[in-house]
Amino acid sequence: MTQNYFELFNLPEKFQINLEKLQENYRTIQKEIHPDRFAMATENEKIQSMIKSTQINDAYQALKSPIKRAKYILSLHKSLEKIPLPPDFLMQQMEWEEHLDTISENKNELNKFKFIINKEYEQYSLLLETQIDINQDWDEAAITIDKLHFVEKLLNKINISLN
Amino acid sequence: MALLQISEPGKSTMPHQHRRVVGIDLGTTNSLVASVISGSPTILKQIDGSNLLPSVVHYSKDKILVGKDAKNHLGKDAENTISSVKRLIGKTINDVNKDHFPLNLADGDGVINIKTSMGIKNPIEVSAEILKTLKIVAENKLCGELMGSVVTVPAYFDDAQRQATKDACTLAGLNVLRLINEPTAAAVAYGLDKKPRGCFVVFDLGGGTFDVSILNLSKGLFEVLATHGDANLGGDDFDQAIVNFLNDKYKLNITDIEIQSIVSILAREIKESLSIKKEVEVLKKISGIEIKETFTQEQFKILVKGLINQTLKATKSALHDAKLNNEQIDGVIMVGGSTRMPCIQEAVKNLFKQELHNDLNPDEVVALGAATQANILAGNGQEDLLLLDVTPLSLGIETIGSIVERIIPRNTTLPVAMAQEFTTYKDGQTAMIIHVVQGERELVDDCRSLAKFTLKKIPPMVAGAAKIKVTFQVDTDGLLSVSAEETTTNARATIEVKPSYGLSEDKIKAMLQSSYDLAEEDKASRALAETKVEANQLIELTQKALDTDKDLLSESELTSIKNDLSELIDSLKSSNNDKIKEATKKLNLQSESFAAKRMDRSIQKALTGKSINKLEF
Repeated sequence: MTQNYFELFNLPEKFQINLEKLQENYRTIQKEIHPDRFAMATENEKIQSMIKSTQINDAYQALKSPIKRAKYILSLHKSLEKIPLPPDFLMQQMEWEEHLDTISENKNELNKFKFIINKEYEQYSLLLETQIDINQDWDEAAITIDKLHFVEKLLNKINISLN
Repeated sequence: MALLQISEPGKSTMPHQHRRVVGIDLGTTNSLVASVISGSPTILKQIDGSNLLPSVVHYSKDKILVGKDAKNHLGKDAENTISSVKRLIGKTINDVNKDHFPLNLADGDGVINIKTSMGIKNPIEVSAEILKTLKIVAENKLCGELMGSVVTVPAYFDDAQRQATKDACTLAGLNVLRLINEPTAAAVAYGLDKKPRGCFVVFDLGGGTFDVSILNLSKGLFEVLATHGDANLGGDDFDQAIVNFLNDKYKLNITDIEIQSIVSILAREIKESLSIKKEVEVLKKISGIEIKETFTQEQFKILVKGLINQTLKATKSALHDAKLNNEQIDGVIMVGGSTRMPCIQEAVKNLFKQELHNDLNPDEVVALGAATQANILAGNGQEDLLLLDVTPLSLGIETIGSIVERIIPRNTTLPVAMAQEFTTYKDGQTAMIIHVVQGERELVDDCRSLAKFTLKKIPPMVAGAAKIKVTFQVDTDGLLSVSAEETTTNARATIEVKPSYGLSEDKIKAMLQSSYDLAEEDKASRALAETKVEANQLIELTQKALDTDKDLLSESELTSIKNDLSELIDSLKSSNNDKIKEATKKLNLQSESFAAKRMDRSIQKALTGKSINKLEF
């Protein structure tokens, strides 16, 4: 299956997509081609359904997560070489990490920090949407993806400290 | 006797034989077999009339007993009476605490050997005895040979345990349609009975295993969002807590197998009584020592507090992985005999602050769900239901410094295939060991070792230049296969597989051979019958496929398939097994790309069909 993931799920090739429709179409396709539908079929069909179902799962995962989706769109347009993050963001990264270390026992502070980082996440997501869907500026988008990736990991760490 | 089945008019487009299939719950303490009879999943009763077959096997010199008869030997002949074999399957001797088993256990090259009066047995063989008993019960009740079965495993079983369970089925002569996870099976039983919608937690505490799964139940689709658990935590451990308490207080001899076996039975009785009564009094003499004790529910709760906390911790982890909090849960389904314990119910109720669903018999619900799934897979039922399950544990390989590189993270929807590229460490390196592990920890030693492959004939290059692509694939049974290739050159690297666990395919074959002492003639006619069934099925399905989709084929492709099809039909007139097999293989090969094209068409159809429906709104 060399088909573009967006075509596969009948969606426009955009960063901003309708996630509900993605899920709905994913489920519809799996209901048709999942190996459980072919338990009584020929060996060929069993193998094919296994392959297709695996690919559909893979494509779904690639489009479901914003970061993976952005990376996938970029991969359709440019080679993915690593672009170093700007120094000011690296400084910001270190500050955030240090802050998390100092407040890791304090639930109140953690919640406040989570709120701030969530805002950052939203901002970078919006930026990414402009860079990909409007400006089609792949190089800038690549940097934003890396930033977003860091922010997502940071959010995860905060959540772990909170639990 | 099985009732005759009549399908609803208009529902079935072509008359086909109702396929005899069952669902099997191979439990730590008890096992069950169920089948859908006249549209409802039904437990098939054992010879003694009970629904449960105790998962106990007794070996004497010349006789094997299974179930209740075997259980009677537990106190008298503990060494030859194997219970809770599920806690040994798919493991090596280093994985288990020998003190917890009143058996003679030893290392047996990838499996655990159990010394009995009948000789050395391994957990796969013991499990196969239980499965054989269930198979006979089912074939008697359903009046004929089984076409297939769905067998349940704990969601938290690792690859080795799943593979060993499947091997036990093969050994018992069962055709496994699917291994499915126990909590998922329970959700199916509840789903079809009560039609719940939303996010549900299945809390499944059995005799020896604990699973917790979070599912999203919607019409026609049950999607597992996350699963967690402990394949070594169950009712047995709650018994053990009482055993430890009694051993301690009354200075009982912990090395005496007979004494420990009696204490175990006593502990279980105490635990079970405490599920019905607030307190129980014990007065018993064990090898001269008088035990006089009053147990209360409160006291028991203190003894097992650590175990309860373990289950709650796993539940919270599953919620976290599913990105849900406890307020977003629409219902909690309790499964497994051990959820009868009031202390467990109370703890789960407190966590979710809601009443629990425990109206279906917790001992039976897994088998009933498995029977329903078997019926769906066999194409017997009209239920429109698809299960999407996940990998319970992360899969990865060992890299430099004994660090695990994860390839497939836990809770990934199945089937899945993921690849990762690795490179050489030294200049001129021509071989590489690929060590496959399963688990969540960073270090290899803390994870489960599944297999070791040696990748050879890597073309010599400078360190870091070779590109070795390792692909992990997990199928819908949750079973892993691994392949590796060097991608910078066309040199195809060879792979040697050295499984660190379980039995090799050859060993299974040898065991099968010795267990079936069929005459040569019987074997031949059986093989021919099987070949013919397969050929007829292929003919029927190919004709159906051509009827609907022949426009996908070029003229020459169509002619080739038609030729091979008539060749196969002709071959069936003979009784030549090899000839039919050959023709079947040929047609299968010929229609490979046809099958792929048809699959692509169904994907397209699925979505266009829906957009048309949408227009009608």
